[in-house]
Amino acid sequence: MSIAERYEEIAHCNRCGFCQAACPIFRSTGHEAGVARGRLALLRALIEGRIEWSPELEAPLYTCLLCGACTSNCFPAIATGELVVQARAEYLQKVGRTSIHRLLFDRLLPHPRRLHLAARAAALGKNSGASRLARALGLLRVFGPDFAHAEEIVDSLPTQPLRVRYPEGIYPGQGAGPAVAYFVGCGVDVVQTAAGAATLKLLRRHCSSVQVLGTNCCGLPAFSYGDREAARRLAAKNLEILAATGAAAVVTDCSSCAGFIKSYPRLFSGGHPLSAAARAAAARTQDASEWLQSAPPAESGRLRGRRVTFHDPCHAVRGQGILSEPRRLLQRQPGATFVELAEADWCCGGAGSYALSHYELAMRVLDRKMENLKKSEADLVVTTCPACILQLAHGVRRHGLAVEVRHLTEVL
Amino acid sequence: MIPKTLLLELRRIVGERHVAESRTAAELYSYDGSLAKGPPAAVVFPADARETALVVKAACRAAVAFAPRGFGTNLSGGTVLPYGGLSICLTRLNRIRSIHPHNRTAVVQPGVTNLELQNALAPLGFFYAPDPASQKVATLGGNVGENSGGPRCLKYGVTTNHVLGLEAVLSGGEVVRLGGPAHDPPGYDLRGLLIGSEGTLAVVTEVTVRILPRPEQVLTQLVVYDDVRAAAQSVADIIAAGIVPATLEMMDAPIIRAVEESLACGYPRDAAAVLIIEVEGPAAGLARQAERIRALCAANGCREVRAAGSAAERNRLWEGRRGAFGAVARLAPNYLVNDCTVPRTRLPEALAQVAAIARKYGFDHGNVFHAGDGNLHPLILFDSRDPDQLTRVHAAGWEIMRACVALGGTISGEHGIGMEKKEAMRLVFSDDDICVQRSLQQAFDPLGVLNPGKLFPETATEFADKPHAIWAGADDLLSAAERETAVAVKAALADGSALRVEGAGTAGPFGNLPARPLAPLATGRLDAIVAVDPANQVVTAGAGVRLGVLQAALAAHNQFLPLRPALGLERRSLGGIAATGGCGPERLHYGAPRRLLLGLRFVDGRGRLINAGGQVVKNVAGYDLTRLIAGSAGTLGVITRLTFRTATRPERCALLSAVGGLEACEAVARQLLGSDIGAVFAAAAPAADASAWRLLIGFEGFAETVAAQLRRAEEFCRRARLAAVTATDYDAVSGAFAASYAGIAGRPFILRAGAPADRAAAAAELIQPYAACGALLVEFGFGRVMAGSNGLGLADWRRLSGGLHALAGHILLETAPVEFKRENDVFGAPQPEWRLMHRVKETLDPHGLFAPGTLPGSGPQGAAR
Ligand SMILES: Cc1cc2nc3c(=O)[nH]c(=O)nc-3n(C[C@H](O)[C@H](O)[C@H](O)COP(=O)(O)OP(=O)(O)OC[C@H]3O[C@@H](n4cnc5c(N)ncnc54)[C@H](O)[C@@H]3O)c2cc1C
Repeated sequence: MSIAERYEEIAHCNRCGFCQAACPIFRSTGHEAGVARGRLALLRALIEGRIEWSPELEAPLYTCLLCGACTSNCFPAIATGELVVQARAEYLQKVGRTSIHRLLFDRLLPHPRRLHLAARAAALGKNSGASRLARALGLLRVFGPDFAHAEEIVDSLPTQPLRVRYPEGIYPGQGAGPAVAYFVGCGVDVVQTAAGAATLKLLRRHCSSVQVLGTNCCGLPAFSYGDREAARRLAAKNLEILAATGAAAVVTDCSSCAGFIKSYPRLFSGGHPLSAAARAAAARTQDASEWLQSAPPAESGRLRGRRVTFHDPCHAVRGQGILSEPRRLLQRQPGATFVELAEADWCCGGAGSYALSHYELAMRVLDRKMENLKKSEADLVVTTCPACILQLAHGVRRHGLAVEVRHLTEVL
Repeated sequence: MIPKTLLLELRRIVGERHVAESRTAAELYSYDGSLAKGPPAAVVFPADARETALVVKAACRAAVAFAPRGFGTNLSGGTVLPYGGLSICLTRLNRIRSIHPHNRTAVVQPGVTNLELQNALAPLGFFYAPDPASQKVATLGGNVGENSGGPRCLKYGVTTNHVLGLEAVLSGGEVVRLGGPAHDPPGYDLRGLLIGSEGTLAVVTEVTVRILPRPEQVLTQLVVYDDVRAAAQSVADIIAAGIVPATLEMMDAPIIRAVEESLACGYPRDAAAVLIIEVEGPAAGLARQAERIRALCAANGCREVRAAGSAAERNRLWEGRRGAFGAVARLAPNYLVNDCTVPRTRLPEALAQVAAIARKYGFDHGNVFHAGDGNLHPLILFDSRDPDQLTRVHAAGWEIMRACVALGGTISGEHGIGMEKKEAMRLVFSDDDICVQRSLQQAFDPLGVLNPGKLFPETATEFADKPHAIWAGADDLLSAAERETAVAVKAALADGSALRVEGAGTAGPFGNLPARPLAPLATGRLDAIVAVDPANQVVTAGAGVRLGVLQAALAAHNQFLPLRPALGLERRSLGGIAATGGCGPERLHYGAPRRLLLGLRFVDGRGRLINAGGQVVKNVAGYDLTRLIAGSAGTLGVITRLTFRTATRPERCALLSAVGGLEACEAVARQLLGSDIGAVFAAAAPAADASAWRLLIGFEGFAETVAAQLRRAEEFCRRARLAAVTATDYDAVSGAFAASYAGIAGRPFILRAGAPADRAAAAAELIQPYAACGALLVEFGFGRVMAGSNGLGLADWRRLSGGLHALAGHILLETAPVEFKRENDVFGAPQPEWRLMHRVKETLDPHGLFAPGTLPGSGPQGAAR
């Protein structure tokens, strides 16, 4: 589908500029290329023939975090993120697609085992300092020149991915709750394994049994990149696995995965043979913070004396409309003081692999987040997305803050 | 196209990545919030004032045009480049430099958004009054460029009333400071001229703003109507009743529906119109104001009044108002917004005419606007992809402007002229008026590189077919005397004499010693009161009318002009008051004369009658000549008529006085002024006992409110252990300072000093040794000291002048003996901005007709430079 088909929507941008208010990229660059109004103006200019598809469009299209803040500030609620993703797809077709990202989306992400291999190589390199993470974790090379900084972001890598520790299969639980299935996101699998382990523990405490699914990447990175077909291939495989599980609920501790699975029906819309399966999967999927509402964990007391705040992942707050759930859980923790973070729902700049591909920009976005974190005087910031955790932890180190960064399931 | 060498230089100045030059960049910077388009050849993002100056210098050297740009949300095409050139984007200058709660100022860079400033002030209990609906995406630089207003401006005034100082880069690259943290520096109000000049006079790199303590209470009401006329009539009635709400906003049915659809704010979807009315201030008596408003709305048959019960409810009501423009974007791809202003009493007619015009051109439209100011915002819905619609919509816009001007209004209340309304300037200004404004532009920008193609009609003939100016108006009581004045000026021009404009003759000659002998030009015959319009709270009168006479005429309507010039009071002429900026400590609350002036007419140095401003409370059409001429002390022309806004007479004016040391008085004043008590002034004068001072705090308004304010102020005084705390009432016209003025008047030297508010006491201490007994008055709110002195030597004057500058203030002599003036500049040590004033004088008075040599910097010290 060409972007021209969405002319009507694009023409509804009145250039009032309100999207500038909360666009993290615009607020750090001040450049019109980095905000919805500008991106829509370019799409309109493309449609009206004033400009042509060219590499000049790469930055305006690919610097978007897809965080959705512009749409929240837009009265006609133009879904700029969606339009950008669609334009990326057309960009790939018309301007080109590199062999490296073909490697990523076609060869690596669909195969957890290959991913593990790459990660393991990376971990060895990182932890021993022998070789650069950059070189080892070949999949990241796709992200271009800023990539040299990738290894600064990832502090240390666990040597054993979560899926190796907890291979696919059914694990008995100690609780009385109904059986659930656990969807392991790539970030949790290879980087945030501690969060994954904590989630699994919580799930097992409350449920009669927990099935660790043999799913692959949810498809979001490919989709965001503009490779809709790759995303569909990844999603199709997941749908097959989800359809086969008997569990009532599919829980994931990655808000990005949860948000994207919930949008599978859009990925397979328009009478696609998989649309029914997509709807069923979307209906069953729960973000960990949602599932935790129905199964309130025992108050651990682990947060006694702590000053806690919460960072909203874009894919939770705008992607799924999750706002009060995690806060409610944290506020209930005995002895903990919950403080609201200013601009809590602003993107941290992690945005999946964004920080790896646009390091400098991402750091400027992150600096703003860190300023707010400093002002909150919290000593613990909690969130529910692995990319956010990676990014926030990097920010805390960069700014020398004494703040711990944790996944929600790790602190309950 | 732009020379390669310039590009190289720009990259060197700001760094490679802060220059954008590509097809996409040109596309991205070709628009703003308006319908105008014009792609720049390159965009440059300087980091600070220094880089900005270098960029400007480079562009000027290459003779490449440029336009300053903030967030590009203006609605008049102010930032697009019709002739190509450079877009200078100031978004990287985005730091709040400092906030000074003690002297109630803040210093910000132009790329800071209005909301960011508000958010920084809120925790300190302060706010910045101008609040454009676009505040989250409108920069202070843009606010200054457009002289932006907002809902709250009904009560507090627009940007120009809240900016004290600017740092700006002039054409050529020179950086100047205009004004500063101290109020009313000597000479012309160039800061006022720059505000609203839409980036055509200079590039602003720093803004010093006035901030205010948050009011004690805000009451918000939503009034629902089944009939638009009834809503418009309610607005007119509220104003006529003399209530000054903080905001009075209106939305009609199409807007209500659009807003409700995008974001449920709780407006009834079937209403024909709603008003959002807010009153704010001291809690005592506020409920009664809200009640009176309810009664007036009910009398007009409103359906329902809802009061916002909580901050959250209030926010929800405002969310919808702020987002109304955007919400309209749901209804059609584009909208054209007009922002004509009409006298408030003409709102019902104006709305009816707008509706008829939209219908005639086949467009849907909606209204969402600052009703209390009479500032319309009809949004006409169309699709810019259809060229026919585009032509028709512009025609409709033109007709709406014509209709509003015919109703006594103007073409723009706050969005500016830019590209979109430049031809409409002819509706409100004569060729001569436009010529004078243009000459000012040339004085500032001889190269013509600063935002060219804006504000002014291109050529005289281009729009010759357009229906011509409505401004001229019919002859009135004053016209004959005005023409006589112009003839007298021309005669002087012919025989080569120089003139001293004389008002009532109550004040001595102002300024430095003239360069040549001056022949008096009397204004006594300009003595007609042309129109008293109590319902709109506006009055127009001749420059020779004495204040007392005008006050008597207004008293009949329970109104007054809230000006109490320090010397001469009611005996002074309106022209004299305006020309010298005469006002007393009440300026803190009511503002200087220029704040109350809506427009004026004057005879310029070529003998032409020139119009400035208009008759309406909000007006950004063209340069703010009103501000330039007011305060020019008869050196730029002869003011012939003035239009002022008036106010309802306060029910009660009362003064709390208390005695203590200067430090204690100052401390109490500071606490009071930083609180939400709402004082009209906080001044002090030496008491009979030499070491003690008498603190004087004034309150004016509803009796109930004043009583509560007095009680609170008393509490402040007692806690500080001030003695002899007493309250006395005073007259609204003659004020509370007769005793001090009597002590000052008639002295051979009369001094006026300004300092940042928190240094007013220090300034008073500095001046006291030179003041005669009982001839000193200090005001803490805006930092002014007035004093009379019997003798001042050369060394004394140097010391005073140097001392005040060390306090970041200034001092001038309103009166001084001729012998003294021979040796001294009565405005003190020379300031860089004075050079610019001389340039302005040479432009408007090329033959040196009006009091030549009296300007700051013309005295012996200045001449020596
Ligand atoms: C939905 C919507 C609602 C609005 N509501 C209001 C309202 O309630 N009240 C109101 O007054 N306006 C309103 N506006 C208009 C607009 O937001 C204001 O004019 C605002 O002040 C512009 O700020 P900006 O940063 O976008 O300036 P820009 O559009 O970038 O610039 C505005 C003008 O100022 C000049 N300029 C900018 N920076 C500088 C500088 N540093 N030095 C010199 N000149 C400079 C530019 O050359 C231009 O002429 C609204 C606009 C929109 C889209």
